Amino acid sequence: MERKKIEIPEGVKKKESVGEEEDFPFDISPMYEGERIRKGDMFVELGGPKQPGFEIVIALPAEQVEDMKVTLIGSDLDEMEEGKAYPYAMIYYVAGSQIDPDLEPVIERRNHDFQNYIEGYMHLNQRYDIWVRIGKSAMKKGLKSLIQIAKATMLLFKNEMPFIEKIEAVYITDEALVEKLLKEYAMPIYDERDARIESLHDEDVEEFYSCTLCQSFAPTNVCVISPDRPSLCGAITWFDGRAAARVDPEGPNKAIPKGELIDPIGGEYTGVNEFAREESGGEHERIKLHSFFEYPHTSCGCFEVIGFYMPEVDGIGWVHRGYPNPAPNGLTFSTMAGQTGGGKQIVGFLGIGMSYFRSKKFIQADGGWYRVVWMPKELKQRVEKYIPEDIKDKIATEEDAKTIEELKEFLKRVNHPVVTGVVRPVDGKKITEGWVEEKKEAEEKPEAKEAKVEAAQPVTPALPTQPAQPGVMQIPQLPAGGIKLVIKNAKIVIDKIIVKKTDDDKGGK
Amino acid sequence: MVVIAVTGKGGTGKTIVSALLIYLISKNRRVLAVDADPDSNLPDALGITDEIKTLGEIREIFQESKDEMGTINKEQWLEGKIYGEVIYEHDDFDLLVMGRPEGEGCYCYANNLLRGVLRKLMRNYDVVIIDCEAGLEHLSRKTIENADYIVVVTDMSKKGLATAKRIKDLSQELKLNIKEICLVGNKIANEEAARLIREFAEKEGLKLLEILPYDEKIAEIDLKGEPVVALPENSEYVKKVKKIAEILVGGEG
Repeated sequence: MERKKIEIPEGVKKKESVGEEEDFPFDISPMYEGERIRKGDMFVELGGPKQPGFEIVIALPAEQVEDMKVTLIGSDLDEMEEGKAYPYAMIYYVAGSQIDPDLEPVIERRNHDFQNYIEGYMHLNQRYDIWVRIGKSAMKKGLKSLIQIAKATMLLFKNEMPFIEKIEAVYITDEALVEKLLKEYAMPIYDERDARIESLHDEDVEEFYSCTLCQSFAPTNVCVISPDRPSLCGAITWFDGRAAARVDPEGPNKAIPKGELIDPIGGEYTGVNEFAREESGGEHERIKLHSFFEYPHTSCGCFEVIGFYMPEVDGIGWVHRGYPNPAPNGLTFSTMAGQTGGGKQIVGFLGIGMSYFRSKKFIQADGGWYRVVWMPKELKQRVEKYIPEDIKDKIATEEDAKTIEELKEFLKRVNHPVVTGVVRPVDGKKITEGWVEEKKEAEEKPEAKEAKVEAAQPVTPALPTQPAQPGVMQIPQLPAGGIKLVIKNAKIVIDKIIVKKTDDDKGGK
Repeated sequence: MVVIAVTGKGGTGKTIVSALLIYLISKNRRVLAVDADPDSNLPDALGITDEIKTLGEIREIFQESKDEMGTINKEQWLEGKIYGEVIYEHDDFDLLVMGRPEGEGCYCYANNLLRGVLRKLMRNYDVVIIDCEAGLEHLSRKTIENADYIVVVTDMSKKGLATAKRIKDLSQELKLNIKEICLVGNKIANEEAARLIREFAEKEGLKLLEILPYDEKIAEIDLKGEPVVALPENSEYVKKVKKIAEILVGGEG
C-alpha cells in the first residue's frame, strides 16, 4: 500500500511548531512507566472507550518529512474542559535510510513506552484502542499544549532509535477528522500488517525465537517460534517473540540466529540445532520444524492439539484438549499428552498450537493436510478455512469414524490420498505407497502392514512399527546399495531397531 | 510500597479485616485493594455494588482471542484491559478483582505477561492490600510476586489455628521475601480463648498484632451482607483495626 501524508482539510483549526523544545515542564524518565492516573486526578482523557482515537507511524521518503515539526489540528489542552474526554489521533511520519514500511509497527509500538516516560501522562493500548489520560498535576506544573507532548515524544524516538533520521508529527483532536482518518487512512494499513503475518515465512527472517517459559514443567523442552510455526501453547507468535526478545534479550524468549538451512522441506537449520542442543542440556541434537516423523519438535505439555500417527491407515489424526473421547487409536487427548509431554521427541506423536494449522508449512515434510485423516468435528470447524478445498471432505470426524475400522472404511469411500499414496505438495514427491491390497486376506486388523526401508529414499522412511505407545524409532541413513526389509502381515511390536554398518561406528545410534 | 496479604481460613473474618484496613489506610495513602479469593466478597464488604470485571475474565478473553490478534502487542493489550477495564476506581482506593482460577490449557505465557503488568501497576501505590485465600495461590504462582507482611486471621476454632500454622509453613516454603508473618485473633469472646491465641503465636513465632473482640454489630453486618465501612468509627473493633494499620504502615501521613 502506498504511504502518503494525510490531507489536511481547508479551514480546520490548526497550530504548527518546528524545532526542538528548549525545556519541558515535566520530567521524562522510564520510572514513570506504568504510572496510573486515576479518574479523580485526571485533567482530560483522550481517546479511550468514549472517544475515537488511533496512533500510527508512517514511513516516508526523507524529502517529504519535515524534521521535528508538529501540526496540531483541533482544540489544544488550554481549550479543553476538565474531566472531559476528547478524540485523539497521533500520526508520525518517519524517514531514514534503514526505514521501510516493515519497520513501522516496530517504531509505532514504542510510542506507548516513550509517552509513558512523560510524568503526568498515561498512555494505554495501541492502534485504534489508544487511551490517554493527562493528570491535573501535569497542568499545574505548566503543561500547556499537546505540542509539548509531541515534541518530547519525538525527541525520545530520535534518541532511542537513532536510525530515525527525521520525524514529524500530526496530532488531531477534531472528532470528524479523527474518525475519517481512522477509517480511510489507518485501518487499511493495520489490516495490511496483519495480513503480513500470513505472508511472512521462515525464509524471510534471519532470526527465530525460543520460549523456555515451560521449562519448569519440561526441562528439556525447547519451543522454537518461527513465522511459520507459533509456540505449542498457541500464545506466542514470531512477532511476540521478537517484541519480548527486544525488551529482555536474556529473558524466556531469546533470539535464535537460524544459521544455515540444512533441510528446506523439513525445516532444519544449523542455528536451531545448536540452540536445541544447548538449551536441552544435550538431550536433542536436531529439530525439524515442519516434520512429523523425523526429528520432530519437542512437546512441552502445554500444547493445544496433539497429532498421532495411525499405521493402520498410514495417516495422521489430530485431537484438541477440549475433546474428551478417545480418538480412533483408542487414546484420549490426556493419555497421549501425558506420554508425549515433558520435552521429549516422540516419533508418531506431535504437540502443536492451534494456529500451526494456518501455517503454509504445516507438517509439509510429511504431506501436510494430505496426510491428515481424522480430527474432532469441533476442531475441524475451527480450522476449516485453512484446509485445502480438495481434501476438506476427505478428513473424517467422530461423526464419520470412531474406530480404526470405521476410519478405514471412510477413507476408502472418499478415496483419501493415503489410500493410494500421498504426494506432498511442497515438492510433488510421492511419500507414501498407499495401502497394499493384499490386506484383503487378513480380516483381522494387522499390527503392522507392509513397510519398506530403502536406501534410495532415506529422507522419508515409512514407519514399519506401530507406536501404539510412544517410543523412539530412528532409521539411520543406510549405505548405498542398501538393504530391503519387507514385513508382511506380521504381529510385532518393536521398541527400537538398531541398524549398524559394522565397519563404521557412525552409522547407527 | 508495602504489600500486605491478609489470609486465613474461610469464615474467620479475614475479608472484614481486609476491608477495614483498606478503608482506614486509604484515608491518607494511595491504596490498591486486591480481591484474590474467589470465595470471598471483598467488593461487598467495601460497599461496592457495581459489576466488576475480573482479571480472570480478561485472561480468558486473551486465551480465546490470542490466535486472532495479528501483530498486536499482547502485553500492551493485557495492560490496557487491566488498567482500563479491570481496575475499579473507588473514591479513595483502586480495586482489582482476580476472579476465576485458570481453566484448561497453558497459562504460562498469559501469567508471565500478567506478572509484568501487575509489577508495574503496584508501583503506583503506597500500600497494596490483598485479600488472599488460604492456599496463597497468586503468591505461589507469582502472579503477585511478593508480600511484605502476611497477616493470618484466625478465630477461636482449632481449625482456624491449624490453617494459620499451614499458611505459615507454606509461606516459608514459597521462599517469599517476607518481612514478617503476623497473626490477628478475631471474634475472640473470652479471656481463655485470647490466652490460647497468645500461646499459639508465641509457639509458632508469629507476631501477634491484635486480638479483636466478638462484635454484635459485625455479626449483623455479616449476616445482611452490608459493607463493614458502615461500622461506627469509635467502636472498640474499629479502633483495634486502626492499631493494626499503624503497626503495618505507620501512623498518619
